Parts: sequence; structure tokens; C-alpha cells
Amino acid sequence: MHFDFSDDELAFRKELKEFLDGELPVYFEFFDLPPEERAERSMAFVQLLSERGWLTPAWPVEYGGSAQAPWQQMILAEEMVAHGEPRTGQYMNVNWIGPAIILAGTPEQKAYHLTRISKGDVLWCQGFSEPDAGSDLAALRTTAVRDGDEYVINGEKIWTSNAGIAEFCFLLARTNAEGRKQDGISIFLVPVATPGIEVGDIESVLHPGAFHHVLFTDVRVPASCRLGPENEGFSIVRTLLANERTGVARYHRAAGYLDRIATWCAERDLLDDSAVIETLASARAACEAARLLVYQVYDEKTRGLDPDVSAWAYRTAAVRAERVVNEAAFTLMGAEGLARHSFADSQFEWAVTAGVAGGSYEMQLNSLARVLLGSKG
Amino acid sequence: MEMTLSPTQQAVLDACTTALGRAAGPARARELRSAGGADDRLLTLLGEAGYLDVALDEESGPLTAVLITELAARHLALAPVGARSLVAPAVIAAEQLPEFVTIMDLAFGGPVRYAAQSEALIVLDGHDARLFTAAEYTTTAVETLFGYPLARVELQGGGVDLGAGSGDVARRWWRVAIAAEIAGTARAALDLTIDHMQGRVQFGKPLSALQALQHRVIETHVLIEGAMWMAREAAYHGAPAESSSSAAVAAVEAAGRTLFEVHQLSGSIGFTDEYDLTLSSLRLQTLRTEAGGMAAHSRALVAGRWGA
Ligand SMILES: Cc1cc2nc3c(=O)[nH]c(=O)nc-3n(C[C@H](O)[C@H](O)[C@H](O)COP(=O)(O)OP(=O)(O)OC[C@H]3O[C@@H](n4cnc5c(N)ncnc54)[C@H](O)[C@@H]3O)c2cc1C
Repeated sequence: MHFDFSDDELAFRKELKEFLDGELPVYFEFFDLPPEERAERSMAFVQLLSERGWLTPAWPVEYGGSAQAPWQQMILAEEMVAHGEPRTGQYMNVNWIGPAIILAGTPEQKAYHLTRISKGDVLWCQGFSEPDAGSDLAALRTTAVRDGDEYVINGEKIWTSNAGIAEFCFLLARTNAEGRKQDGISIFLVPVATPGIEVGDIESVLHPGAFHHVLFTDVRVPASCRLGPENEGFSIVRTLLANERTGVARYHRAAGYLDRIATWCAERDLLDDSAVIETLASARAACEAARLLVYQVYDEKTRGLDPDVSAWAYRTAAVRAERVVNEAAFTLMGAEGLARHSFADSQFEWAVTAGVAGGSYEMQLNSLARVLLGSKG
Repeated sequence: MEMTLSPTQQAVLDACTTALGRAAGPARARELRSAGGADDRLLTLLGEAGYLDVALDEESGPLTAVLITELAARHLALAPVGARSLVAPAVIAAEQLPEFVTIMDLAFGGPVRYAAQSEALIVLDGHDARLFTAAEYTTTAVETLFGYPLARVELQGGGVDLGAGSGDVARRWWRVAIAAEIAGTARAALDLTIDHMQGRVQFGKPLSALQALQHRVIETHVLIEGAMWMAREAAYHGAPAESSSSAAVAAVEAAGRTLFEVHQLSGSIGFTDEYDLTLSSLRLQTLRTEAGGMAAHSRALVAGRWGA
């Protein structure tokens, strides 16, 4: 056991950080930009990353990656959030949509989609949740019925982030209504512009474009849009969602906000107040705990293991870190924190959605409890 | 000791509930959210019906005022009912009470609730307080997610001195008012969440049937109940330093817990504009930072209890 980064990793971080500091000298959140502008700027930015081999460094070389160890992916994730996550929704392409296609795609799907994702010229959205299938994702009812060389899709997806600007939807649909509900689900890689797909905004208190509903009415797609074998979509998605859980370095973004809040306190000579000290310290420690738990996930990935349990534990710690930093932000900034886009306000959105977006907190707890306490009551 | 309402109190609250049911509520809160500003109409209506002056009435007193403050918050009233019905009567002579009044403390920075909409501002400056009319200060609106119109205030005139010790008195009543507003607002958020959980089926059963979630709802419920009763008792006793600050401490704790629990338990729908939750939940963030928030309430409690 040791806790040193290799020279290569340190050099990678330094070079990446210098580049990002140069391109984005002033911190702002790309997610706060209006959707169209966000799409445009993010697309332009990931192309810069792609040119430098920094978009998909962990992917195999044959698919446009540089086969770097998962640690590079971690460094990338940390530096991205430290610079406002300029990849926006595209972290998803890199972290789990691409890997899903690597895992289960046909040669044609790989050639087309992986090339585009690794070049950074495509936006995706994730069509999982439905009005009656949130935590209970396997209860989804959108159907895809085989008709010759095509599937006909009908149903409704909800909460779909970025659907208004995405070109493709990574869609889960039911292809078999019999048997265990998990066993009748398939994945489809669907162009959002296909006739019969209607995307609507859902207004919310979150960043613009956070939520949409997507209606599918007799949407015909070629069978070649299906990813992986029919009815096996759920297990593919399950495997890859570990990546979704670790894909955004939430602890690092929260720690960044905490640093800004500490500076705010220092500017007001508050750093020798014991209550301020305790508040900052416990929030910092929460971020550090989450950091080490995600490092355990990357370590397991490096050793070729399937980091399920450690990914759940990390996610749990990351949600806590987000919330504790939010609490610290409002405790310390008081009414100043209420202003739109104050550090406290920015952290609030991440903290209040942390346990819901990307699968709920309680689902992680349930999964962990099953493993740690056993399934018997 | 008698912890049920007297017939007179019940009658006042029933009538006030009817008035609030008509004039406040989610639809009105949503209307005001898009229009900006505060609910002058509601404040006038409550004033004309006498609800804002019950603290001065010998029979009703501040206890009824705190019940009305709580009730108004529960109905999502967007008006300074607590400031007007609990704080102002404690420091301003009855015949000079402005209709629309709000409070700021010079000890704390940050934007002030309802400052731009008020006719008058009670400014706490250490032990004393001064009353400024709207002509004596300017405001700059502050954009916020957290449910109330906020503005930064710049004082210009000198205001009217409200007497020695008026700052301390106002501050104690302010804490009671905040605690009551939190109790009502948090209750609205939690009630809606319980309703949602009873109807929302996942994994073949309603969320309300899951024990892991039930316990969290109940813990939140108990925090809110505690704060509510503490605000009531403090008001009844005339807002003593200790019990008014302990009510505020309990309420701020309840507010923080409620805000995060109701959103977690409601899932994505809780964040949408079409659903009512954010109309109450987000206000809790403002209420918990007001009057110096937890740090100031805690200091006051420790000083009130153990001396400092
Ligand atoms: C910012 C944001 C972006 C999102 N983007 C997308 C997207 O792009 N695509 C997409 O498909 N979805 C997206 N979602 C939706 C998200 O995946 C769902 O909200 C999530 O899966 C929870 O579902 P729900 O909201 O229906 O909550 P519900 O399933 O109704 O759950 C409500 C609460 O009950 C708890 N609960 C439910 N069942 C149990 C149980 N058995 N034991 C204990 N607790 C339980 C949950 O954990 C939760 O706390 C997004 C959500 C957010 C907030």
C-alpha cells in the first residue's frame, strides 16, 4: 500500500491543469449556461480535449483512447469539476455510454459511435426514468416491439437531462413483458430526431435544461439500433452504472466550493472563531473521506476488479460530502448565501440533487446493506 | 397548563384558516413567484380583519399572534406576518404601527426579507432599535432561489429611536416569529411529502410503507413539532431571552433537516415548478439564515441560560 501518484500521473495532472487554467481562468459552472450556449461551448471544449487525447484517455487505443490507467480518468474527473465541468453532459458519453458500446456494441456501432464520442462531436441523453419507474427502474414500461427489421417504440421518459440538445438517446425499453421485469429490457441507441419523438421542457428550480420529458409515439428504429442482445440491457446497464456513480468527482467540486467559502471567511477574519473552524473542518473531512473511497474504486478498476461495493460506499460518502459542504456554506455565509450564484447557492443545487440524480441514495444504501448485513432480516 | 386551544382561540384560528385558504395557498404563491414582490393584498386583508393586532388584545395576546404566524406560513403566505404581528407591536406604539414592516439587524450582513416592499424597517443596532420609513432607506433587489423577495438595504435617514433596550426586545420576538414561520413552512413541506409518499408506488408498494423512510419522516415531524411548541410557549411568556432563542435554535435545526428530507423523499418531481414542494421547502433556507442564523441564536441561548 502506498499513497503516491506516479511521475506520469503527476505530470499528466500538471499539464492538464495548466491547459485548463489557461482556457478557463475564471471559475464558472458550465451547467449554469443556457442549454444552447452550453451545448456549443461544451462541444467546442471537448474537441480541444479530444485533440490532446484527454477526452477518452482510459478507452482502448483501437476506439480512440490511449489505454491509460483508470487513475488518469480520476485525475481528469477532478480537474474537470475544478474548472466548472466544461464537458457538461459529455462526461456521460466518456464514462459509461462509450464503455457500454465497447462492451456490447456491434462493429458498426463501435465504428460510428465510439469515433464520434472520442472526437467529442456528439451529445447524448439518458432515457431511463419514467413517471412510474424512478428508483424502481426495472418497472419501466416504454415498449419496443420487433416488426421485421425494425422496432416500434412507444412510451414516455421523464427527467431526461439534455434531451433538448442531445443528438442521441441511450434508451431503455421493454422488449419482453413476461417473466422477471429485469429480464425483459433492451438498450437502444436512438437518434432524438427520429419521427415520433417529442421532447418537452420540464420547468424546475434546477439549472436550465436539467429536466425534459421525451414522448415516443410509434417511433420506428432499425433493429441495428439495439445495443447488445435483446432482453439483456438491464445487466449491461447495471455493470456500467458503477461508472456513472463515480464519473463526476463530486467530492472535489464540493471541496472547491468549501475552499472558496473558507477564503470568504478568511477575508472577514473569521478563521479563528471556533464554530467556524469546526464547521469548515468537518466539511473538509467529509470531502476527504469521499475522495479516498473513490480512490479505492479506481484502485479496484486498475486491478481489473468490478468495484460494486466500493462504488456504492463512495457514492454514499459523496452525497454526504455534498450535503455537509452545503450546510457549512449556509451556516458560514448566512443570508449572503441566499443570493443567486453565491458559492452557497451553487453548492445547494448539487447537494439537494446529489441523492436523487443518477440513481437515488437509498438504492445505494439498500445495495450496500444487502452485502454488508446479508439479505436475511 | 393547558395545551389545547380555548374556544375563542379556536374560533379565531378557524376564521383565519378560512381567510388564508381563500387568499393565500399554493396557487397564489406560484402567482407571486412569477410576478415577484410580496402579498400586500393578503397583508391588508389580514390587517383589516384584525389578525395582525391580536398581540395587543388582552384576551388573545402574543400566543394567538404566534399561532396566526405559524398558520400563515403553513398557507404559504408571502407577507411579513410575524414581523408585523409579533415583533412590531412589542416595540412600536399601537397607533403608529405601519401595515407592512420588516426587520434587519446591523450586526449581520446580507439581503433583507421584504425590504423593498415594506413601508417601514425596524433596524436593530445592538441593544436599541430604530424605525425607518421607506423614504429613509434605499434597496437593491437580490435575485434568489429561496422563496422570499430579498434586497440589500442602505440606510439614509436617521429613523426614529424606539427606546432603550428596544433592540433586545425586538430581537427576542423576531426569534419567536422565525421559529413560528419555520414550524408552519416546514409543516407544509412535510405534509405534502407525506401525501406524495402515500400515493407514490415503487417496487410494488407506496413509499410511505418503507420503514427506512418512515423513520426519517417521523424524526422530521418530531423536530417540527418541538420547534412549534417552543415558539408557542416562548410567545406566551412574552419572549424571554432563553426560550425565544431555544425556539429559534430548534426551528433552524428542523428547517435544515426538513429541507433536505422532503427533497430526498420526493425524488425528482420535488424540484419541478408544476409541483408545490419548492414553494415551501426553499423558504426554509432563508428562514434559517435570518437574524444571524444558528450561530446568533445559539449564542443568545447560551447567554440566556448560563450567562456569558
Ligand atoms: C438533476 C437530475 C438529473 C436527472 N437526469 C436524468 C436523466 O438524464 N435520465 C434519467 O433517466 N433520469 C434522470 N434523473 C432521474 C433520476 O434518475 C430519478 O429521479 C431517480 O432514479 C429517483 O427516482 P424518482 O425521482 O422517481 O424517486 P422515487 O423513486 O419516487 O423515490 C423517492 C424517494 O424514495 C426512496 N425510495 C424508493 N424506493 C425505496 C426503497 N425500496 N427503499 C428505500 N428508499 C426508497 C428513493 O431513494 C427516494 O429518496 C435525474 C434526476 C435529477 C435530480
